[in-house]
Amino acid sequence: MSNNDGLRILASTQATQRLSRRSFLAGATVTAVAGSTLITGCGSSEPEPTAGAGSSAGPIEDQLNMYTWGEYDSPKVLKEFTASVGPKLQVDSYNSNEEMVNKLVATKGTSGYDLVVPTGPFIPQMVANDLLEPIDLTRLPNFSNVDTVYLGQSWDPNNDHSVPKAWGTTGYAYDTTKVDREMATWQDFLDVASTTASGQVSILDSPDNVVGLYLWAKDIDWMTTDMALLDEAQDYLVNTLAPHVKKFESYPGSNGMPQGSFWLVHAWNGDARQGILSSDDKDRWKWVLPTPRTEIWMDNWCIPKGAPNPNAAYAWIDYVLDPGVSLKELSYIGYHTAIKGIEPAANEAGLDRLDIVFFTPEQIATMEAGELNDAQQKRVDIWNAMKAAAGR
Amino acid sequence: MSDEVLASPGVRRWRAPGFMLAVPAWAWFVMFFVLPVGFVILLSFGAKPDIFRPYSLEVLSFDQYAKALDPAYGPTLKNTLRVGITGTIACLVIALPFAYWLAVRVPPRWRGLLLGLVLVPFWTNFLVRTIGWQLIISPDGIASSALQQLGVISQPLNFLYSRSAVLLGVVYNYLPLMILPLFVAFDRLDPTLREASKDLGASRYRTFTQVTLPLAMPGVVAGLALVFIPLMGDYITAEVLGGAKGNMLGQLIASQFLSAQNWPLGAAMAVLLMLSITVTGLIFALVGVTVRGVLRRRRRIVIDVLEVAA
Repeated sequence: MSNNDGLRILASTQATQRLSRRSFLAGATVTAVAGSTLITGCGSSEPEPTAGAGSSAGPIEDQLNMYTWGEYDSPKVLKEFTASVGPKLQVDSYNSNEEMVNKLVATKGTSGYDLVVPTGPFIPQMVANDLLEPIDLTRLPNFSNVDTVYLGQSWDPNNDHSVPKAWGTTGYAYDTTKVDREMATWQDFLDVASTTASGQVSILDSPDNVVGLYLWAKDIDWMTTDMALLDEAQDYLVNTLAPHVKKFESYPGSNGMPQGSFWLVHAWNGDARQGILSSDDKDRWKWVLPTPRTEIWMDNWCIPKGAPNPNAAYAWIDYVLDPGVSLKELSYIGYHTAIKGIEPAANEAGLDRLDIVFFTPEQIATMEAGELNDAQQKRVDIWNAMKAAAGR
Repeated sequence: MSDEVLASPGVRRWRAPGFMLAVPAWAWFVMFFVLPVGFVILLSFGAKPDIFRPYSLEVLSFDQYAKALDPAYGPTLKNTLRVGITGTIACLVIALPFAYWLAVRVPPRWRGLLLGLVLVPFWTNFLVRTIGWQLIISPDGIASSALQQLGVISQPLNFLYSRSAVLLGVVYNYLPLMILPLFVAFDRLDPTLREASKDLGASRYRTFTQVTLPLAMPGVVAGLALVFIPLMGDYITAEVLGGAKGNMLGQLIASQFLSAQNWPLGAAMAVLLMLSITVTGLIFALVGVTVRGVLRRRRRIVIDVLEVAA
């Protein structure tokens, strides 16, 4: 079965021919094309089927257990879902894909969760290890609202097991009252971290991002499996950068930034936006999407094997794919929700700091997706060693 | 048979053997101590095959210990010992006079209330209490603004996410565990012993160091153990208040189990942590016993029997 067979129902034939769907996250060389389609994709409005949650096999259960990233759904949307659709929600959160995968593996289909939100590259192995149920897209009328640019990614070419939830990138923010200079690159980050902002720096508590910090500054592919380069990264991170770090923190936006605990924070864009918006003095912070390279990641709704409330899970996915609901989600989490026309809608609604949510095709061209490769263990080792060295 | 029983002068009833009383305790001990610790030790000899399996016990080896003993983790062990030892001593220094005052000086009718107040923090969740400190000592917290208004500091307080913040947190969290055994030890002392010491001409200081304190030693040792052992394995306090500088082994172990998903390495680190707690405890016990021996020798009063007889 070719990719097009699986997708014909999802978009007009005109659109599927026009779009290079898989190219969006495939690499810097082709993303420029994808970037341009992003814009046209956002502008064009295709006929939308009427929404109707739960055209499903059986009634919607009255409970829904979600296992997702921290602060990753608007509390308002969660409440409204229960009010209008029915199922009561229980939301647990994790800090890394590994943590989530492990819980599913350890419980062997009895985790009790109905929804998980893995990042793309983890999906093929989760499918291979029989952790995910296939998703029947015909049960999601609102699936047609997803911008086709984000469908059929390399990790799930036919979206048999996943539906896009949100995508984002990694950058940094700095307190302009403390760091009195312009910053634009990862090298600037490393320079300031080890001089002006020494001892006031927060670094993402995630192996890939820690290693990426150095490799991006040197304009090297962050998923490299070249051990010599990784050793070089380890030497710099452990011996040079580690002593200047104040905290390894994946969500600096929720506490550290508003508290004023850091001068320089390495953060995912949505979290940085939350941190800036919840600070008393918002203008103090400057957000930077650093050059020459950075990350792009996409998280996806998946239904784990043995989900006790699958109909409620379908109802939820369909519910958040509604453009209106999706806008509320975006307004809270600060990440692009992959829905058609969400950018103009967000602009029209006058949401704050959309420069941290939406990016230009040129910016997207500098972003590279992560993968699960042979260097995974080495990256974890570097991250461990750096954290240990920071306490010296 | 019933005739026989009735016929015997004292009715013989079946009596459970004494050890039966200890069965629940032994069952608990086996289920919740021997088995889990045994499994952790077994796990520490395993390996991590791939990210979809946190451990495998197919091939047993010492590889994880070699990794856990990597010099890279040296600073974390040093930090942990430093916080563990300083924190325990700080708890002792604060708790000793307080427990003495509570047990000896405070009128008995107030003791219950004060002891209750010592326990009040335990009514709140450990994590919530620690996060409370985070709010207090953060740069925009109340401690920072109060100190700035008093003119003690000119910049916002830069105390959160440091080793000292962890020390503050552990002393706060574990202090009641030191106060309670000390209080019990002082409370049990017979006041007449202190009076006797005074009658024999000892100063208050001498009475305390030579009568009260030696008799309260079991309480001191219990308090030291109750504070030092859980403190060394604590990771919540360090996670919430410590940042990168105040990291402890507990965090490293937790991250092996939760984030890195390398259970064997985490287990090996846990075994090493238990060993380092034991070794530190033994060293202190040895020092304690030696000091006591020396003191006893110096204070011994030799009564020459012949001289007395003559």
